[in-house]
Amino acid sequence: MADRNPVAGKVAIVGLGHTAQGELPGRTVEEIAVEAAVNAVADAGLGFDDLDGLVACKSVQGSGADTTLGPVLGLNLPYVQTLNYGTCNFSLHLAAMAILSGMASTVLLTYGANARSGKFDFGQPMYGTDMAEAAGLVHIAGRAGLALRRHKALYGTTDEQFGMLAVGQRQWARKNPLAIFRKPMTMEDYLAEPYLVDPLRRADITMISDGGVAFVVTSAERAADLPQKAVYLAGMSEYAGIRGEHNPENLMRPWLKDSAQAIWRTTGLEPSDVDALYIQDPTALWSLQMLEYYGFCGIGEGGPFLAEGHTLPGGDLPLNTHGGQLSESYTWGWMHLVEAVRQLRGQADERQLDSPKLAAYLSSHGFFKAAASVLSTDPEAGA
Amino acid sequence: MTDKQAPVKDQLSQPFFDAAADGKLSVQRCDGCGALRWPPLPSCPECRGRETTWIEVTPVGTIWSFVVYHRAFQKSLRDQIPYTVAMVQLDEGPYLVGRLEQGERKPAVGDRVTAEFLDLDGVPTVRWRLA
Repeated sequence: MADRNPVAGKVAIVGLGHTAQGELPGRTVEEIAVEAAVNAVADAGLGFDDLDGLVACKSVQGSGADTTLGPVLGLNLPYVQTLNYGTCNFSLHLAAMAILSGMASTVLLTYGANARSGKFDFGQPMYGTDMAEAAGLVHIAGRAGLALRRHKALYGTTDEQFGMLAVGQRQWARKNPLAIFRKPMTMEDYLAEPYLVDPLRRADITMISDGGVAFVVTSAERAADLPQKAVYLAGMSEYAGIRGEHNPENLMRPWLKDSAQAIWRTTGLEPSDVDALYIQDPTALWSLQMLEYYGFCGIGEGGPFLAEGHTLPGGDLPLNTHGGQLSESYTWGWMHLVEAVRQLRGQADERQLDSPKLAAYLSSHGFFKAAASVLSTDPEAGA
Repeated sequence: MTDKQAPVKDQLSQPFFDAAADGKLSVQRCDGCGALRWPPLPSCPECRGRETTWIEVTPVGTIWSFVVYHRAFQKSLRDQIPYTVAMVQLDEGPYLVGRLEQGERKPAVGDRVTAEFLDLDGVPTVRWRLA
């Protein structure tokens, strides 16, 4: 398998850092990202002089590029890159490629957001003002709702089954002091919520919060000398569904399966090997789709699978053990990777799972791009 | 907040609006491979051919899915909630997203719909109604 998976055991996450999540009024995206970076570099036991790469991720408003981050960060570097979309998976993959190619050896990943304090308008047209936007199909909840209703019509998925995601995320968030939404929410509470964009309720859709996250990623050789338990990248995959909007391919996203097949094929791992699962979830629909396409259950079987409680605290497939984007914080999915690393290191306090060895982090950029990473404390995993 | 809802009327989409003003539904057909496409594109995504003809299609289709907005994410939508947006597959193939008129009957996936044409502040607009 080694010839097909050149990444396994070669690259490790050695530092993580973040700011408080919630409201950080009066602060720029760059300042927030740098605070997270200071924490990540310290966590790695390194200094800023040890970095030779930067992958900056722009906020949803378009701030935080490498060139605007640089002056605040105070660094010139051999390798820098900016991604104009989030979820951290794509940033992690760029860092791994830079390290594997020899262009850098120790890369800082940054993300900062002030969308809440900055009152960012999530109702603005995402893809230009086309006929669909003009008809009122605004906000990501519209597209997610179209896909969910179709799923319900095709497979009989019920509100109670789908609601297990929001209810489960709240159960996990109650164990997480960082989480913004910690008020108990029973299934009864969930079902009593009115629809926001029918068939989605408020609890099915992420909050908007400010916050920054950063990671330090380095080669396995360097990781061996650092204080934290190294979390190795066992495998990575992507797939881009860039053909266009407003068609079944882009709403149901069957191409997520291509990313799934790539990561399981190249690592030789399978869904049952995953001890902790992280799915970036701007709406709960993301989790429903990815549970199915990545093979944790059959296509169309997500509803009954969720109803069986696998993804809840105590279940055999713990999902987003920090509460995810529905209950913990927004951060475009970056905190999912923070939590995955914490769980693998054994630093998740009240939420700590029983010695997890392998975590999967699955994400997507809107309805366009899928990315997956498998992480392990075992450098041989995926090789 | 300005009204961000006006659809883009440009050289590419102008034939659609001209036809809609006459109460007709139209999409592009590739002169090379015959594929129908929506939304308008400068060349064919099937064969990359650049020659295109706008053709009239039957304004009848089936609801692929729909959502009902109970919150207005833009000020200009405030007096319209609750409103319904459907993705409709035309009998001739392409998918169109548009407003579904609230009627007596609740819509369902698979319901048949027909297009209506109205003039909204000078913009020819297609709306769907349950057949």
